[in-house]
Amino acid sequence: MTDVRFLSREIGSLAKPPWLVKARRGVPLEEADVEHARAWGERLDVEDHGSLVEQLTAKGEIGEAELTTWAALYALRLLEHAGLDVVYDGEQRRTEMYDHVAAHAKGFEPRGTVRSFDNKYYAKAAVVEAPRVEEPYDGEEYRFVSEHTDRRVKVPFTGPYTVVDWSYDEHYGHRTSLGATHEERRDARRSFLLDVAEHVVRPNAAAVVEAGCDWIQIDEPALTTRLDEVPLGVEAYNKAVDGLDVRSSLHVCFSDYRLLWPHVLELENCLELQLEFANRDSRVLGTGGAARPGYEPLFLFQEGGPAVGLGVVDVHTDFVEPAELVRDRILYAAAVLGPARIAGVNPDCGLRTRSWDVAFEKLRKMVEGTRLAETELNAR
Amino acid sequence: MQATRDLDRGRATAETVDARFQADLDAFVSAQQEAGLDLLSDGLLRWQDHFRPLLHASKGLEPGALTRFLDTNSFFRAPKASRAVPKLERPLDDRFLASLTGPRVVTLPSPFALAHGTGLTPVAVAHGVLKPQLDLLDADLVVLAEPFLAREKEPNLGAVSEALEALSGGPPLALQLTFGDARKLLEQGLAELPLEGIGVDFYATHATDVPKGFPKLLLAGVVDARSSALEEPESVRAFLGRLADERDVERIDAVPNGDLQYVPEPIAREKLKRLGEARQ
Repeated sequence: MTDVRFLSREIGSLAKPPWLVKARRGVPLEEADVEHARAWGERLDVEDHGSLVEQLTAKGEIGEAELTTWAALYALRLLEHAGLDVVYDGEQRRTEMYDHVAAHAKGFEPRGTVRSFDNKYYAKAAVVEAPRVEEPYDGEEYRFVSEHTDRRVKVPFTGPYTVVDWSYDEHYGHRTSLGATHEERRDARRSFLLDVAEHVVRPNAAAVVEAGCDWIQIDEPALTTRLDEVPLGVEAYNKAVDGLDVRSSLHVCFSDYRLLWPHVLELENCLELQLEFANRDSRVLGTGGAARPGYEPLFLFQEGGPAVGLGVVDVHTDFVEPAELVRDRILYAAAVLGPARIAGVNPDCGLRTRSWDVAFEKLRKMVEGTRLAETELNAR
Repeated sequence: MQATRDLDRGRATAETVDARFQADLDAFVSAQQEAGLDLLSDGLLRWQDHFRPLLHASKGLEPGALTRFLDTNSFFRAPKASRAVPKLERPLDDRFLASLTGPRVVTLPSPFALAHGTGLTPVAVAHGVLKPQLDLLDADLVVLAEPFLAREKEPNLGAVSEALEALSGGPPLALQLTFGDARKLLEQGLAELPLEGIGVDFYATHATDVPKGFPKLLLAGVVDARSSALEEPESVRAFLGRLADERDVERIDAVPNGDLQYVPEPIAREKLKRLGEARQ
């Protein structure tokens, strides 16, 4: 008999509630928006939510900062009510993972919007001088969460490689103009990358750790996007967490995980890799390889490296994974890696593109499926 | 962009979005004409990604997992095969291949790119999907966009050549290696493929990697479609001159090194303008 217990957690973002989105855009609220605040406040037992509803109903003066704090509280309660072991605030204070950094750190200028996929778009900035953080900017966000929950807290930070890869380069790359050699381009990228790791991500993470945080997550969705730069991404991760007395994990998604090898073995102070699998998987129940094609990359991790945070919920569809499907995904992964190498269970990525209804149900079923898997494993 | 967002959120009708697309197409064509470009493109404005319209139009291919496109933060639905021999059922209509007046260039995925990750061979998708579409095209040049081949550890140029043979007999074809270092492929004989032209990204490929006496039309990727930094027309012109003189390339067309969708629209417009200035 073993004692298997998987930590259930989110990856980061949730959608912003309509009453916050509209307020930020200066759009008048409709009755449905107020009802959203009322219904979710009631459903999630958000303390004193009546006062928010009253203010929204009265269309009184309520500042954006105050509304954002309400949204953070709602998101925190949503994650708690879904049953997660580890929570945060759904990144309600952040516009978006990249823009949050580019807007706060020095050295970046906005350049406009480009397509992410289909009709989804994101803002891009250009680095125009060596980037740096003069005043860490996530401390208040962490303090609020830690003061309002008794669950474990994990704070996400956009990783240095992703910041660099998603930025336009109008500073370091001036040396790497048309027809330059591969080495010249690589040197420019490395300088940019290490500056972001050391002078943007690390000081911000350090401030949160100093405030009491014991778990940070470095988000690197871009990490495997350039085959020859994965070692640089690993070097930057190590620089970003260097000397921090904190549990660190690394989230990578929508990527070719084969490219992580063998470089992930060089990660320092990285207890787990939180990865996306459900997006690639079938919806058929079953714990054999044929039913679980999306989890094929797990075989890579049999070689070693950090533990795996198992993505079991597809964040790009409204399909709510039944608990039994979640269970089977976990059981398959446990068979491939052994339960001890599964650090926890999570959605593939942040759920910000899903409605709260869908996100809540997905998370609830994820937790339920996780408990089913634990029961089965513990009964063996 | 706003129109499609509004459509998703039920704040706009399909007709409104159609009108917006038409206005954007008109503006894009005007921008190319003002820049003095020789061949006009419709900009693939309605393509959801590099493959989707062809996947919807074909039997045996369908949109699969959301997948990152190379080293960008943009994603596409990776083609997925549902049968061994795919077949184009409905040729792309005017929404995806807009009618243009004047000399035009059409961009389609290369057979290798379309087959990539599906388990199908490039020649199977060339025969079944691309060739029927090419036969219906009226274009002065068809660019087969190829983002993956240059990143292959052991590229199989034989399979690519076989697929390109299957596409011959229609409009002139060029294979453009978007966003990738072409050195290895050039060393392996890329220039010998049965094509009118070859596109090389000179933001990833060193100029000296082009073989001397390059025998094809060289689509020189001299505008970086992934960078917000604006090219200096004089520098681009000088670089094109070097290619012609030092690499002994007779026919050079200046092009972006890939789709300009990776920069915001105002920057793309300025890059087009500078591309036009560079070739003057």
